Amino acid sequence: MMRWLRLGLTLLRRERASGEWRILLLALVIGVGSVSTTGFLGDRLKRAMTERGAGFLGADLLVTSPRPIQAWPDHDLDTSQAIELASMASRGDLFQLVTLRAVDAAWPLRGQVRIAQRPFEDGQPGPALPPPGDIYVETGLLSLLDAQVGDRVRIGASEFRIGGLVADEPGRIGGIFGLAPRVFLRADALAATQVLQPGSRITYLYQFAGAPEAIEGFARALKPRLDNTQRLTGAREGSQVLRGPFANADRYIQLTALISLLLSVAAVAIAARRHALRHYDQAALLRCLGATTGQLRTLYASQWLLLGLLGSLLGVGLGALAQQGLAALLLPEAAWQLPELGWAPVGAGMLSGLLALAGASLPYLLRLSQTPPLRVLRRDLPPLPLAAWLSAAITGTALTGLVLWYAQDAQLVAVFLGALAALVLTLAILARLALAGGRWVRRLSAGPLRFGLAQLLRHRLDSTLQLGAFTLALFLLALLTLVRTDLVHGWRQQLPADAPNHFLVNIAPHQQQEVSAYLAKYPIKSSDLYPMIRGKLVTRNGQPITEGLSEAAREDNTLRRELNLTWTGRLPANNEILAGTWHGNRPGDEISVEARMAERLGLALGDRLGFQVGDQTVEARITSLRSVQWESLQPNFFVIFAPGPLETLPASGLAAIHVPPEARDALTGFVKAFPGITVLALDKLMNDIQAVFDQIIAALQLLLGFLLAAGMAVVLATLLASLDARQQEAVLLRTLGAPRAFLAKSLWSEFLALGALAGLLASACAEIAMALIAQRLFELSPQWHPLMWISLPLAGALLVGAGGWLTTRQITRIPPMQSIRALS
Amino acid sequence: MHPNIRTYEETSSRTPGFHPVAVEARGLGQQVSTAERDLTILKDIHLSVKAGATWAITGASGSGKSTLLGLLAGLDRPSSGSVTLLGQALDGLDEDARARLRAGRVGFVFQSFQLLPALTALENVLLPLELSGQTDARDQARHWLERVGLAERAEHTPRQLSGGEQQRVALARAFATHPEIVFADEPTGNLDADTGARIIDLLFDLNVQTGTTLILVTHDEALAARCSHRLRLAAGRVVDAGAGADA
Repeated sequence: MMRWLRLGLTLLRRERASGEWRILLLALVIGVGSVSTTGFLGDRLKRAMTERGAGFLGADLLVTSPRPIQAWPDHDLDTSQAIELASMASRGDLFQLVTLRAVDAAWPLRGQVRIAQRPFEDGQPGPALPPPGDIYVETGLLSLLDAQVGDRVRIGASEFRIGGLVADEPGRIGGIFGLAPRVFLRADALAATQVLQPGSRITYLYQFAGAPEAIEGFARALKPRLDNTQRLTGAREGSQVLRGPFANADRYIQLTALISLLLSVAAVAIAARRHALRHYDQAALLRCLGATTGQLRTLYASQWLLLGLLGSLLGVGLGALAQQGLAALLLPEAAWQLPELGWAPVGAGMLSGLLALAGASLPYLLRLSQTPPLRVLRRDLPPLPLAAWLSAAITGTALTGLVLWYAQDAQLVAVFLGALAALVLTLAILARLALAGGRWVRRLSAGPLRFGLAQLLRHRLDSTLQLGAFTLALFLLALLTLVRTDLVHGWRQQLPADAPNHFLVNIAPHQQQEVSAYLAKYPIKSSDLYPMIRGKLVTRNGQPITEGLSEAAREDNTLRRELNLTWTGRLPANNEILAGTWHGNRPGDEISVEARMAERLGLALGDRLGFQVGDQTVEARITSLRSVQWESLQPNFFVIFAPGPLETLPASGLAAIHVPPEARDALTGFVKAFPGITVLALDKLMNDIQAVFDQIIAALQLLLGFLLAAGMAVVLATLLASLDARQQEAVLLRTLGAPRAFLAKSLWSEFLALGALAGLLASACAEIAMALIAQRLFELSPQWHPLMWISLPLAGALLVGAGGWLTTRQITRIPPMQSIRALS
Repeated sequence: MHPNIRTYEETSSRTPGFHPVAVEARGLGQQVSTAERDLTILKDIHLSVKAGATWAITGASGSGKSTLLGLLAGLDRPSSGSVTLLGQALDGLDEDARARLRAGRVGFVFQSFQLLPALTALENVLLPLELSGQTDARDQARHWLERVGLAERAEHTPRQLSGGEQQRVALARAFATHPEIVFADEPTGNLDADTGARIIDLLFDLNVQTGTTLILVTHDEALAARCSHRLRLAAGRVVDAGAGADA
């Protein structure tokens, strides 16, 4: 045993000098490098996204409860708490309903509050806790109370000075339509106001922050203790606008990791096959000299294990360095300071390298150890083929294990592996068909081109394998590029450059024309003006709405509060009718209901819903169900009435406007001109969201870059694996008098044809795969990608052509005699 | 003489498993199936090679010489008949048992030298010595390189050696473990006449000095004539079996 181990190491050391295992090692290093880079980066990006989300939520975890919570699971997290309740604020004879938020010194744990001294200024970051005797208020309150910063306002039994305006705070996005402006005061000042009375509707807010694992454990322990009036919100769920992009980015990262893994296994398998092929003679000789199967296994397994360890270690090192450097380059902002690297990802990278090598190479190792000794006399004698099921079982088990480990989602793995099997089969058939189609092209061409194409057709099996490998690499890269492009496109659509950045609330009916006229003087883009009335859903077909509903449905948010009701004849831009027909301008008691709300409450077309509006009840029939893009930052409504039923009731108007930076002064004038109208500024929030989008996009770009390296490794491994056969033919041709130019041209035409064909096949596969996964995994609508059908074959031809030229150019340069010696 | 290098007399008297008949074939036949028909490569070969004898297997290309060599050395299984190598019937042995039988007791010389390109000349000679667990392997390997006149080239790889030099390394490797039998397949086939002649001289010298049984395949009549026995094959059958020049 030791003798064979020693011999294995000696051979390995000697072969290093001759570059014998360079290709296998290269495939391993790039493979493990890309897997661990995507792993490291993916992990760190996910954490960074959570951090960003926490900035929007104000904490890593937020618990809201109508009652104080006394007992918590054990934890060592940072905490902060606040009490929120509705109260009246007054100045002189002006009264306004406000939302009081009494905070402690730690509020908020994540993100920042910005306090401004004048409306629509960005303000300075600072604590949410005002100095004693002060309150901070939302800008909207100033106009409602006709006040300025520095003025005094009464709340309950206390009087406060307005110390500043809340220009930005975490968690704002959830409350933009809360019509009672927010007021921050000190928690220790709350008791003196005497607004806390038995029966007051109070919300207790508890913030937690700490290490991700600690937060996870705490949330797990806490969840079962909460009842359905209490709510737990994670960092990722804090912002509705970011929830979708975060989930999509997560899936994309997961998909990237899987694909890089697959590309690595493919590259290693191709390199391992070549390595094994080149060692059959050695194995045969050793058998002649008395080596048994077991001894050969020891010999080669020890070599490959050492190679695997070395390659994986180098790969992990490369991955760690690369992601550090590239992350710093592309994601320089402090908020994206990625968490430290640990030993866990290093171990994971090493293990995945070894598993990939084992899965890819074990079948070859087994064959190698069974090389017939007779091969020393008959060079053409191949080792006994390994039973196909055994090969498939070994590779399949290793691959499934790896994929399971990475994806940690059995369903995804099943879909992925099923699709992969179908893909391999389709590729094999398509590649064969395409090569068969090459015959007539050959008839049309002449000279080196004809020879190059003939080469392709002559080595049918090798060509099929190469074509399959190139197609796989191009397809997977195309798939990731398409998903990325579509995701980015979707996000850009979600937040177009002219998305509304301010809301106008409380527009009285008689002000509507004046407001429109005022806005028209400036380059301000306005949405339709929606009349708004608050009403509570109370009956369905004459029965109380809660009747027959499950407990969960009864607790639905849409039943617990008043809804913003509107009426319009024009379907809002981001809405889509899913069932029934839009009521349009025909007046009548018809309503359109948001589809998911209808589903949760079991509402159907034709149901009559009753709404309590003030002291009246308004009834209307559901005639359509709509989808609503809640993340669009447009005025969105659960229920839209047809013109008519609500028109006689007192309503205020709501409009969303886009104010470009150069028209910001118009807002100051607007507030003066219409003191009763509240202006909600969302531009800071939108900039923050845009920044997060940009960073996610940059991060995805980075991952894609790494995948390109892995794809290139597959292409190179495939090309290098075919080098020996090509060299042999080239020597023969040169000996027979073929000029170098002829060889170069024939090689180029062979590679260009292979690359272009692979690109074409990959386009077809990518188009089909996109159609299948776009909707299921990423909630994207399927699209046709005509440009890809041109660009991918071109890219394929260039990539394979250039790679082929790089790897084979030496063939055309070495004098034939030298090649003959090298080959013999 | 190096203390570990033994003479024929020593080998034959001291080796516990010494057999007066080195290799024996009875009714040996080899057939392969092709798509069209079954092809007979060897048919009904009877052969008994005494220990220490030198045999030449001759015949035209395709007459089955190398196939017979492979069967006698246990590199392949016959379709019919039996082979007894160094007193052990091969038909009862699986691939691994046959490999164990060859280890250290059977040497090979090939037409294409079959040196491991990654190893130096010394390491190539060292290979069978180490694999058969010999002590003092490195000294022995050096000694054998010296005997074939390549002491100065010990650290050179096969690529840095000429064809004749490579074959001399192969000879050193074949004899280094004091095998009881050496099989040589066209040992001069890849060499020019002069170099080939020198290699043959060396092969026979080593054979005489070590008393090893030698079976070589050749189509070179002059070379065959130097063996004590010869077996001429035509179309897979023995057409002539008899004594050689010095029998």
